[in-house]
Amino acid sequence: MTKYAMIVDLNRCQGCRACMEACKIENNTSEAMFWMYVFRFEEGTYPDTRMSFLPRPCQHCDNAPCVKVCPTGSRFKREDGIVLTDPDRCIGCRYCELACPYGVNYFNWQKPQEAQYAEAIDWSDPDIQDATQGAVPPYKNPALDELWGTEQRRTAGGSHAKGVMEKCTFCVHRVEEGGQPACVETCPVTALRFGDVDDPDTPISRFIREHETWHLLEEAGTEPNVLYVGGKPPSHGYREVERPKARV
Amino acid sequence: MATDMQTKPSGADKEYRPLPQGVGQLGPAWMAFVVASSLVLLIGLFAWWQELSEGMIVTGMRNVGTMGGASWGLYITMVVYFIGVSFAGITIAALIRLFRIDYLRPIARSAELLTVVALILGALAIVVDLGQPLRGIVNLFRYARPQSPFFGTFSLVIAGYLFASLVYLYLGGRRDAAILAKQRSGLQWFHRLWAAGYTDTPAEQERHRNASFWLALAIIPLLVIAHSTLGFVFGLQVGRPGWYGTLQAPAFLALAGVSGIGHVIVLAAVVRRIIDDQARIGSAIFAWLGKFLLLLLLVYLYFMTVELLTLLYATPEVEKELSDALLLGSYAWLYWGSVALLVLPAISLIWQALAHRWSVKWLVAAGIAVNLAAIGKRYLIVVPSQTHGTLLPYETGSYSPSWVEYATVLGMFALGALLVGLFYKVFPALPLSEEEEKEVVSHA
Repeated sequence: MTKYAMIVDLNRCQGCRACMEACKIENNTSEAMFWMYVFRFEEGTYPDTRMSFLPRPCQHCDNAPCVKVCPTGSRFKREDGIVLTDPDRCIGCRYCELACPYGVNYFNWQKPQEAQYAEAIDWSDPDIQDATQGAVPPYKNPALDELWGTEQRRTAGGSHAKGVMEKCTFCVHRVEEGGQPACVETCPVTALRFGDVDDPDTPISRFIREHETWHLLEEAGTEPNVLYVGGKPPSHGYREVERPKARV
Repeated sequence: MATDMQTKPSGADKEYRPLPQGVGQLGPAWMAFVVASSLVLLIGLFAWWQELSEGMIVTGMRNVGTMGGASWGLYITMVVYFIGVSFAGITIAALIRLFRIDYLRPIARSAELLTVVALILGALAIVVDLGQPLRGIVNLFRYARPQSPFFGTFSLVIAGYLFASLVYLYLGGRRDAAILAKQRSGLQWFHRLWAAGYTDTPAEQERHRNASFWLALAIIPLLVIAHSTLGFVFGLQVGRPGWYGTLQAPAFLALAGVSGIGHVIVLAAVVRRIIDDQARIGSAIFAWLGKFLLLLLLVYLYFMTVELLTLLYATPEVEKELSDALLLGSYAWLYWGSVALLVLPAISLIWQALAHRWSVKWLVAAGIAVNLAAIGKRYLIVVPSQTHGTLLPYETGSYSPSWVEYATVLGMFALGALLVGLFYKVFPALPLSEEEEKEVVSHA
């Protein structure tokens, strides 16, 4: 039985946020939604300060609080461990968001806007049209609207419909076709790894055997499938710096 | 301009006689009340329309975490509050049947009506809070998952609690409906429908008493479950600071009782002033309500103190930021204001209990105060845990309701007032007295 997991190697992460960018492009997420988010932390007092980085995708927990509280079963866990949302069943009560200790859920407060991140760019400029072939972000990734998995539901999160929940899908549409999540593929320093941990011969299984791993918010008892290597869990002495524009 | 339903022309010899307790008589004050409530309701509907067409971006709510907002706000506060208010009516109705407290009967119908209206408003508050309201109404039943604490607040409350309350209201009024149906009036069809063939034979009376008794016995556990699951919505969650706790469910039940009885006192005072010309809602009833409110208030204050002491003595690291915000920080004015609005009424009630003199004015003041406090306390349970002390070190968030949320909530209050006002015009607020019964029968 396949069981997917992700490794976040904090010894390698340099906080470049390329994974966030890749996620937004792959999944066409709306403004201020970060299915993948990278904290940039600072701790200590000047001049003895230290920077650290912490990528935070959905943890795809085995004991997922969001799945437990969903009143309609829109949020569910697949047998291979991926936690997904069925946007056609979601009623938008936002209970999953409040049950989740990691803050990975995003609600569609409005319809996605065209050119949301690029008001300043003139998309009709022929030079730009040459490069974009006429597409105006957010273009639609057609794979997101297809039916996936044994459930055959529209779970790749492509709807971005007003009034429903969405979150990281481990790029289920890529994984189902044998690929890797967009963030993993983009990471320039291989700080992110993804694969089947049930099979002991996969690279990720070997990596886990050779390294000490820990979970984010172990004490919440959520049994995440995202494992961290190196670094240390964030404490409340951490200050977040260099936040992106994150409020709509 | 007074309009009179009874005197609408339907043949000269068939002139309608007025029904007791102002039923069917639409006076100018009542018309003004209806117009005012309808206006507020219309503004609320307009606000909700904005929300439906634009999306919930028009509310003050935003995502927790990176977006630095609160995802549940004033609406969920009102859900908890309205469902809390519903506690009172059905409790009083059940207590009357189980312990045969017959002198409370004059307020039974108003209390049951309050429960029904409060439950309708509670369900509506959930609906306006949903991102997909129409789909929600279907899916909450179609795909209902009892494992979700949310099941208790919507599916169970609507299916079980509201239905049982309606049955109570129906059974309790059936005798009066049968009497009223004897008199020719514009509402005769309605009273006939309600009476549904009831003729007040001893066998029927016995059957009604039995049904009411067993229903009362069945409804008490339902009541405890419904209000406790509302506490579980928050109390079972470890993901938010300040939510996880065993005290949530019982404290919810106690505060539900406080706000509900407070509401019954206000409603009883209004009915006594406007409808009750024979002073059937007497001082004994107000004394009972005052004592019951005091009892529940003391229980709730006890829970609150226990919670506060635990928090002050041994604050877990993750809850420190939240408790600071609550007790000293940006929510302190609301926290201590709500505490004052609970403690001051408690003092006034203790004073009245010791003096054995119950003043309706002071009771009404206490009823209003504890309801404001209840809204404040519900808000403090729902919102601060989202903006402060998130488990991952996100920036501190902020939330303030937008005009859309305020207008929608006011619209819901107006709808509730309208429903109560309309009911009192189609059905007597108090059980018919013997004189009223004779009067009606003599016109039959």
